[in-house]
Amino acid sequence: MAAPMEVVVCTDAAAQLWSCVVWELHSGANLLTYRGGQAGPRGLALLNGEYLLAAQQGKNYICAWELQRKDQLQQKIMCPGPVTCLTTAPNGLYVLAGIAESIYLWEVCTGNLLVILSRHYQDVSCLKFTGDGSHFVSAGKDCLALAWSLCSVLQADPSRILAPRHVWSQHTLPITDLHCGFGGPMARVATASLDQTVKLWAISSGDLLLSVLFDMGITSVTMDLAEHHIFCGGSDGSIFQVDLCSWPGLREHSFQPEQNTGKVFKGHRNQVTCLSVSTDGSVLLSGSHDESVRLWDVKSKQCLRTVTLKGPVTNAAIILAPPSMLNPEFRPSLPLPHFNKHLLGAEHGDEAQGGGLRLQLGLHLQGKEPSYLERLEQLQAVLSSYLEKNMLGSQMLPARVFDLEDEVRSLRKINRDLFDFSTRIITRPSK
Amino acid sequence: MTKKRKRQDDFQKVKLKVGKKKPKLENATATNFKTKAIHLPEQLKEDRTLPTNNRKLNIKDLLSQMHHYSGGVKQSALLGLKDLLSQYPFIIDAHLSNILSEVTAVFTDRDANVRLAAVQLLQFLAPKIRTEHISPFFPLVSAHLSSAMTHITEGIQEDSLKVLDILLEHYPALITGRSSILLKNFVELISHQQLSKGLVNRDRSQSWILSVNPNRRVTSQQWRLKVLARLSKFLQALADGSSRLRESEGLQEQKETPHATSNSIFINWKDHANDQQQIQVYENGGSQPNVSSQFRLRCLGTLGTVDEDLSSPENLKGFIEIIIPLLIECWIEALPPQLAASVGSGVEREPLQVMQQVLNVISLLWKLSKQQDETHTLESWLRKNYLTDFKHHFMSHFPYALKEITKQRKKDTNKSIKHCTVLSNNVDHLLLNLTLSDIMVSLANASTLQNDSSWIETIRKFVTETLKGGTRLNSKQLNRLLGVSWRLIQMQPNRDATENLIKAVYTLYQQRGLLLPVRTLLIKFFSKIYQKEELRSYRLRYRSKVLSRWLAGLPLQLSYLGSRNPELSTQLIDIIHTAASQANKDLLKNLQAAALRIYDPQEGAVVVLPAESQQRLVQLLYFLPTLPADLLSQLSRCCIMGRLGSSLAVTLIGILYMRSSFSGWSHSVNDCLMTDVDYLSFLFSTLTGFSKEELTWLQNLRGVPHVVQTSLSPVLLYLTDLDQFLHHWDITEAVCHSLLVIPARSQSFDIMQSAISKHLVGLTVIPDSTAGCIFGVMCKLLDHTCVVNEALLPFLASCCYSLLYFLLTLEKGDAEHLKKRDKLWEVCVSILALLPRVLRLMLQSLRVNRASPEELPVVGQLLRLLLQHVPLRSHMLTNAILVQQIIKNITTLKSGSVQEQWLTDLHYCFSVYISGHPQGPSILNALY
Repeated sequence: MAAPMEVVVCTDAAAQLWSCVVWELHSGANLLTYRGGQAGPRGLALLNGEYLLAAQQGKNYICAWELQRKDQLQQKIMCPGPVTCLTTAPNGLYVLAGIAESIYLWEVCTGNLLVILSRHYQDVSCLKFTGDGSHFVSAGKDCLALAWSLCSVLQADPSRILAPRHVWSQHTLPITDLHCGFGGPMARVATASLDQTVKLWAISSGDLLLSVLFDMGITSVTMDLAEHHIFCGGSDGSIFQVDLCSWPGLREHSFQPEQNTGKVFKGHRNQVTCLSVSTDGSVLLSGSHDESVRLWDVKSKQCLRTVTLKGPVTNAAIILAPPSMLNPEFRPSLPLPHFNKHLLGAEHGDEAQGGGLRLQLGLHLQGKEPSYLERLEQLQAVLSSYLEKNMLGSQMLPARVFDLEDEVRSLRKINRDLFDFSTRIITRPSK
Repeated sequence: MTKKRKRQDDFQKVKLKVGKKKPKLENATATNFKTKAIHLPEQLKEDRTLPTNNRKLNIKDLLSQMHHYSGGVKQSALLGLKDLLSQYPFIIDAHLSNILSEVTAVFTDRDANVRLAAVQLLQFLAPKIRTEHISPFFPLVSAHLSSAMTHITEGIQEDSLKVLDILLEHYPALITGRSSILLKNFVELISHQQLSKGLVNRDRSQSWILSVNPNRRVTSQQWRLKVLARLSKFLQALADGSSRLRESEGLQEQKETPHATSNSIFINWKDHANDQQQIQVYENGGSQPNVSSQFRLRCLGTLGTVDEDLSSPENLKGFIEIIIPLLIECWIEALPPQLAASVGSGVEREPLQVMQQVLNVISLLWKLSKQQDETHTLESWLRKNYLTDFKHHFMSHFPYALKEITKQRKKDTNKSIKHCTVLSNNVDHLLLNLTLSDIMVSLANASTLQNDSSWIETIRKFVTETLKGGTRLNSKQLNRLLGVSWRLIQMQPNRDATENLIKAVYTLYQQRGLLLPVRTLLIKFFSKIYQKEELRSYRLRYRSKVLSRWLAGLPLQLSYLGSRNPELSTQLIDIIHTAASQANKDLLKNLQAAALRIYDPQEGAVVVLPAESQQRLVQLLYFLPTLPADLLSQLSRCCIMGRLGSSLAVTLIGILYMRSSFSGWSHSVNDCLMTDVDYLSFLFSTLTGFSKEELTWLQNLRGVPHVVQTSLSPVLLYLTDLDQFLHHWDITEAVCHSLLVIPARSQSFDIMQSAISKHLVGLTVIPDSTAGCIFGVMCKLLDHTCVVNEALLPFLASCCYSLLYFLLTLEKGDAEHLKKRDKLWEVCVSILALLPRVLRLMLQSLRVNRASPEELPVVGQLLRLLLQHVPLRSHMLTNAILVQQIIKNITTLKSGSVQEQWLTDLHYCFSVYISGHPQGPSILNALY
């Protein structure tokens, strides 16, 4: 089977012909378009490789399409307020949405609203899961970036205030974008802010690793998969490349007169809103307020292709095309449930249905598997049979035991003699 | 006869009479001279190899004298050593091992003078030897110290404390490493172990009792005071050392610990882009080893005693068990229960000192236990064991006061004070009470509040009264006080009581003329409460009225503070920034109200504070709820006037762009924030670079060297300073960008045009930077959709000519204006290339017959340069007739005199570029 194709998913703020377009990365061939509504910034997410979710700009619902049935709007998920950002867990189990200053967490299989997190003081601007879905990071206009552990968020009892794992408060102006690197709980997170800095954090320790100060406010940030470079989109349309690995050995060889221009991608005329790097790290995709999406060659910093859209670009990302996207026969494994507007447990009739829904993993296997007691008996039987076999196989065993006991006895005797002797020696001078 | 007489003369008998003095004999020896011994203190021999002191003794002699049996020799050797080492400090490094081993050996000398000399020498040496140099010898030093502390002679014990003082002052880290031995020594100094058989089986806490030694020169109370003072110093060093390692907690230890600065990298993009700064984020990829590591293969300080010092909770518990009964005994002795009844009138000085030291030691122990106590087991253990004792002994007469000493006893007390001045020269009963409250309060927590309410209430009352009393508190007292208040607030669920406390602190805060550390502490206290409140979720969040009043007052304070106290301003800005970013409504409202003062271009905080604070203030603009027109005009003045720094001004323009309706997504227009009109007028006035008043003032300038005048253009140029010019130029870049990103290009161009024609057309004196910047913006904004206003063109043409004239008449020597040349030339040429009609108008205005003869060469040179400029050539070609006419006029005007070089050049250029052009001559011919 061939390697999965890389495609580009873009949305713009005007959404005249379609709200979302998918094109092939290298050829630029238009593959699919989805119609209905305008997706807001940082509001596009792929759910489980089966659905496409788009938070609507300034409206309080999320559009959901089945990936292969492009023209048909599948569902409108109603939310309590305008959605400012949206993301899904990589395993497709949870949907996170930032609504005003709160973060809403839905479980996809039931559609229950599990938790509302309100630790931000102003609007949440971006949300990202780590690659393994164990943590997520949220950042907002209150200059705070918070790293949450999904487990602790889900398990906490409602009486207690949910606390994030880390609070990163070093930014001094609103955070515009964040990127979560590779490595699950060990990942590094890059945050970009209008205070002209990009900062790199470690989720595991919560430390600030790096802070880069620029000349202008930074509106978007991304890293390549190997985390060799950070790409930062500025508010004037330049894209800066920060190298995270320096090669001191190379410094003598590299004599390039135009060194300082070698780290800026120039071409956009207005602020860069979104950045994305292909999986091999060779191609950079950028979307801007100047209504164009550009494709850059990372190595030579040249613009490969410019696609002009009808409005400011709200989302542009390079993703690996899931099989369902290109196969019209594909059907989702799970129908999208009705997403609840109210918190689980806070609803009136919730106890009636919620009481019996405690799932236990592996329950369906219970019939086939023996219980622990049975297993213990089995183990004992095996052990005893082995022992018996050994005993029977070698009649030497009792004799051997006898020998050993004898040796122990003799050793004890020697020890006692030694003790007596030494006490005699020691006590003699005092005599 | 004569002979006989003569002989008689010779042997005349002297008659001695009673009552007369005996005449002196002639041969008597004169004994009235005085003799003096010749004293040779120095050897005459000069040892060339080793430096010597005044007595010509070298280090070897001196060290060998240390083994002399006589105390006097040893003392003089020590003095000589000090003399030698002060003259030749390099000997210290070379002979450190010998010197230390000899000097420390005499800590236990029998002769008091020798010990005194040794202590003095140590006092002299300690500042010169760094910690890492002495650390290999420290086991030796501390061994001698502890042998001196445990010595049987009292004098040696007393002097050992002086040694300890020196070591504590200079090597706190090293000496705390030996805490296991030293703490035991401390205990032994003031007590002895009960060895009677009946007590052996009882727990060890009971087996130590205070000892009284009648042989001492000082009373046993004074002795204990001395020892306890050292003990508390020692524990302080211990606590400081360990708090450096652990994360500090509480208000007292709020030292600035910049979050993980050790391993985070801060770089500037420009340096990185120029390859001046490399980034190495991942430690495993680093080619350089990490040199800042604290790891040592061999542990130098503590050899095998690691398990006994106070770093583990168990050991600390053991030490507390021993020391606290002793301390309580000291307390009882200082304040006997039968006297305690009269305590209301006050306690005398000396017992008060003892009490204070006792409490100091306890509070330090508490602090240590808190540092090690992760699970609060130690806390509950302390509470269980000691709460009753403390309540009984300490709290029964709680607020202690100092009794005024009566006159009769003055002599007596003077003497005792003399002993104690070393320890603490002033007794601070307030600090004593506060320390006691601190200790007691740390024993309570929210769950035990019910049981403790009686004494907690006493403490609360005391704290509130002290705060409200308005007494001048120093920062140490206040620190304790706020620590107690914080703890009280933390464990108190009752809002009214909390509110009272906060109110009391607020009354203190409102006092005028507080010292900076005091003010800082108060601000920190409030910001801590504020942060704690903010952490709660919305349902539980409770806004203290006093707190919000405090917060709301901050912007006004900041605006009034001005440049008087930049540090305080920085703190205020920090808190305001935090609260503003958290969208605290009260604060934002007040910030809005105070904004006009803060951002005042003349004396507002934004221009008078240092650059760091300026940046924070500029960033604060982002959070302002609305940006009215007057504020914007002030901000534009701030940008223009150059007191803000060009990069900061650019940041400001960027932030305003972010807040304007042009940056957001189309739906999220915050129309109440800032109207587009205001925003555009801000941009335009920033672009102009001069206020209206300044421009009208400029109009009356004539004949000043700063004004350039030509006879061919109605517009005069005012020459700005280079600094101002460059600043203006940088800002224009930012304004240009802000204008460029506005989606409707033609509209913004129109607005700019109409603004220019309204405000600038008609002026006769224009600053050169303004003219240049306007050209720059027009060049950048102009595209095919824009329509240029006809009325504007003559103005542009005359400006352009004035600028070009200025550039061409620039003298080589004028270094200041030479730097402007490239920039101005570039914008002039590009505006001429973009707007051919401006070029045409300019050429039309060159009526050379009106020009002065000095101006003619300049016009000629200008024409030549324009002809040579490639982008302009086609436009010049279309205006060929005009150009030819001008040249003809110049030639006729100049015909009388000798043909000059510039005219020849001009003719040549014209013939090459225009006449030589294939179409050029044909058009000309057709026309003629």
